[in-house]
Amino acid sequence: MVALVGNPNTGKSTLFNALTGLRQRVGNYPGVTVARKSGSCDLGNGTKVELVDLPGLYSLAATSPDEQVVTDALSGNISGERQPDAVILVADATNLLRNLFLASQLAELGLPVALVLNQADVAKEQGLRIDTGLLSDRLGGIPVVMASAWKGEGVIDVRRAIAQTLERKKLLPRVVWPEKILAALEDVTAAILKDTGRKITSAEAQRLIFDSNSALAERLQWKPEQRDPVIRQAREKVRQSGYNPLAAEPLVHYARLRKALEGVVKEGAARASRSAAVDRLLLHRFLGPVLFAGIMLGFFASVFWLAKFPMEWIQSGVDWTKTVVAPPLDAYPMLQSLLADGIIGGVGAFLVFLPQILILFLFIGILEDSGYMARAAFIMDRLFSWCGLNGKSFVPLLSGFACAIPSLLSTRTIEDPKARLATAFVVPFMSCSARFPIYALMCAAFIGPVYGPGWQSVVMVGMHCVGLFFAVPTAFVLTRLVLKVKPQPFVLELPRYQMPKPRDVLWRMWQNAAEFVSKAGTVIFAITIIVWALSYFPRDASVAERIKAANPTAAEEVVKAKVQAAYVEQSYMGSFGKAVQPVFDPLGFDWKITVGVLASFPAREVIVSTLGVTYSVGEGAKADSQHLRKAMKDAKWSEGPRAGTPIFSLAAVLSLMVFFALCSQCGPTVATLAQETGGWKWAAGSFVYMTALAWVAATAVYQVVIRIS
Amino acid sequence: MTLEAVIVGAIVGVAAGWLIRRWLAADRRRKEGGCAGDCACASKIKPKK
Repeated sequence: MVALVGNPNTGKSTLFNALTGLRQRVGNYPGVTVARKSGSCDLGNGTKVELVDLPGLYSLAATSPDEQVVTDALSGNISGERQPDAVILVADATNLLRNLFLASQLAELGLPVALVLNQADVAKEQGLRIDTGLLSDRLGGIPVVMASAWKGEGVIDVRRAIAQTLERKKLLPRVVWPEKILAALEDVTAAILKDTGRKITSAEAQRLIFDSNSALAERLQWKPEQRDPVIRQAREKVRQSGYNPLAAEPLVHYARLRKALEGVVKEGAARASRSAAVDRLLLHRFLGPVLFAGIMLGFFASVFWLAKFPMEWIQSGVDWTKTVVAPPLDAYPMLQSLLADGIIGGVGAFLVFLPQILILFLFIGILEDSGYMARAAFIMDRLFSWCGLNGKSFVPLLSGFACAIPSLLSTRTIEDPKARLATAFVVPFMSCSARFPIYALMCAAFIGPVYGPGWQSVVMVGMHCVGLFFAVPTAFVLTRLVLKVKPQPFVLELPRYQMPKPRDVLWRMWQNAAEFVSKAGTVIFAITIIVWALSYFPRDASVAERIKAANPTAAEEVVKAKVQAAYVEQSYMGSFGKAVQPVFDPLGFDWKITVGVLASFPAREVIVSTLGVTYSVGEGAKADSQHLRKAMKDAKWSEGPRAGTPIFSLAAVLSLMVFFALCSQCGPTVATLAQETGGWKWAAGSFVYMTALAWVAATAVYQVVIRIS
Repeated sequence: MTLEAVIVGAIVGVAAGWLIRRWLAADRRRKEGGCAGDCACASKIKPKK
């Protein structure tokens, strides 16, 4: 068995795919490779070996569960798993010194190693020339090969290097520790043998001395009262040698590596300096956040602008479908209403957002692949550090803007359980893509046409920030006052700026579009049928007769409209919505919006199709029925002090969006939160807290805006 | 009961049954350590047991 190890973002997973032929998702952020992955690798000499892809890590100082897996796997400490016969270290050829720190630590494990300098093409572009022969000599004669896994270059050399490593078993030379550090390591090894009867390796002794919070001590069942004085004395010896105990390891390793790399790398850093110049601007302390906000603003403005016409085409298509489907069913009003109002009205209202979703993911793909997303993480990390969240929290929080569920799973990369819990608790506040259709509907119908496209983008960005605005103080209170999370170190890899590859960006866009359309054709389709049924039944004929009798002189169209409105109001959905509406009245929601809000608790995107159904039931017979936006604009309060005024006032529109930005309306998210926090306590807490917060914030918005406007 | 009512009833019944079946399957997936979402990410992120 051969283990593949390396720093995150070195293309390790891509190389693994190239060597084994297995498919695996490759991302830009650290921590994507969470699980152990293995595959069969043909060495080209007639033999095959099992190749294990271990999670990316920067050092053997195991602070997170992922890093612990790597150190355990390499030391042979995982039950049922044997120690690897060799290690293939994948290093970024453009950043050799930092990547070889891990190699230097690996030497302590005494395993045969081969070094793969990946991303050789990028190194070449940057004018870097690496003397692999010299490097191999300096590293004890281990095989050193150049590769460019994503281009498939050098993969044969890697196979050969694996075969050589297994055959010759060349080891990396170990670092030569200063005498006092060596003595400290021996003291710790001897003390453990005396106290626990267990013999540990020098590598393990290093972890106990050099790591501030080593998980190894607990696993060795070394009692704190015996352990603490020994470690204290050992660290004192390290200090006597002139090193800070917690910094000694990198200092000694890097001093040795700098010497080993002398003359190995010849630099010509033209491209790197361009990247650095761009970073000086984009990561500037004050200018960076301003540019970030500007980019986001332009991003959403473009989404609206570019999607405008395709959305109108889809809307026309939906209307045309209604004109084709509805008239032949005039003799069957129930079936006609199900098809035209329910299925076409509901699914069409959802599908109309496809162009915006496509453009949204196109821009996200460009931002990710260009390397800017990692910079955004860096800019936002300052904010999250301030509110007490672990630096690693940013990755799940950022991906929460797409979907909360994989984000909750990715909190597993956070080593501190309290920081992990705090992060998981605030992840659902991030504005996931399911919230996008309701923001888009409200902005396009009520903000853009009245206040102009500029305000439309501002409101859109604002809505994406509302969750963040409440997540920060929530995290602050949780981490500082409730859970008392200790700060942890965080390393974020900033990838090089590069031109996004159209194929990759379009592929991701296609995947998201397919998912969106498949959702429209499955879950949304089924839910709209149920919502239609609840909005259509019961149909008591006496309702129509009563209205006709009360309006003997009214025109037939007017009577028909009144009958339809009365039917919807007395339907199951109408009765339920009216019963619950007083709860949402302070938020400015009428019973139809209330129905939409309640129907959206299992999945928030259902609101659009629900509004599509509730605002069109009874309209199906009209071949030229108005679409959802028009119907909503025309909706007015029929009774009470607001009678005759529009339901969708600016106050109600903002209140509805704020409610959706904050409310916990996703069944799978609540279930996943329960799963990840080990019980329903935190999940229930999150549901109650978010829903109550949404109600209070939306009420405040409505009451303030209605008074101002 | 008219044929129209039967057809509409069948469509609504099938939709409700399908939704319930889907939610039960998602719950089972979640209990097995997989992803309960509709985003098909279970194949991308393999949770630890």
